[in-house]
Amino acid sequence: MSSEHLPNYLRAHRKWSALSQDEVAFILDCQSSKTVSRYERYDRQPSLETALRFEALFGIGLREVFAGMFEQGEKIVVRNMQLLFEKLRAAPRDPRTARKIRVLGSFLEKKRHVLVGPRR
Amino acid sequence: MMEKEKVLALQPSSQGVGFAVLAGAESILDWGVKRTRSGNKNANALKVVQGMIQHYRPAVIVLENHSSVGSRRQPRVQRLMDGISRLAAKYRIATCRFSRAQVRKAFAFAGARTKQQIASVVAERFPELAPQLPPPRKIWKSEDHRQSTFDAVSFALTFYEAKRTQQRAA
Repeated sequence: MSSEHLPNYLRAHRKWSALSQDEVAFILDCQSSKTVSRYERYDRQPSLETALRFEALFGIGLREVFAGMFEQGEKIVVRNMQLLFEKLRAAPRDPRTARKIRVLGSFLEKKRHVLVGPRR
Repeated sequence: MMEKEKVLALQPSSQGVGFAVLAGAESILDWGVKRTRSGNKNANALKVVQGMIQHYRPAVIVLENHSSVGSRRQPRVQRLMDGISRLAAKYRIATCRFSRAQVRKAFAFAGARTKQQIASVVAERFPELAPQLPPPRKIWKSEDHRQSTFDAVSFALTFYEAKRTQQRAA
């Protein structure tokens, strides 16, 4: 539990920038500072539009600002990729299926660290 | 893409709880003072700490060793620190305690000995904290409540320093 990423780092980035929640709400054209507070406390997920505004504000990619959320999403995608890959391998082969297997196999190779965990 | 282990350092005082969350000695995620001025201060402070544990999921909680020689923490704060240790155990989080002497030793490289000097070194290391650096304390004034934030950071940095020393020795 210790080395997991937090769902998001909005609070850290805001504090590094010395901005108040009110100021962030104003910059993002959000309803109020309460909305920003809910994002920071993980009580509410920002819409894609708001998330991109956060990226524009802090100048850091979404996968870094929302690191924990990204990791969680990546695990789901890789797990489902693996399931589809195995299903396709068991299915009768045609050129299209063969192509899918090749593409998924190559994606899975790149994402192997997600399944086996990172090297320490 | 794993993060370094998160440390929650807490410095309870008569006015509230100073806190700092670090993910490695170079990265500070959150800091400040949670004021607990009315009612049952310890119960309120423990609620605040529980909230922080749930939010940050730290690997270690760092506190001052109130039973070390020279520690002058008031009995209520000592009980609060023990309460925090019990809370940490409930969440299966390790607790580390350091004495002020250990903190001074960790900051000896910068020639800092007093709390004010150590706070200045912390503010240099983390410029985002600099606006909160309290002015030098007058002898007739009580300690600025913001000092507990810097104390919490200094405890967290002492933890990383102790860990580094341990790793070097191994």
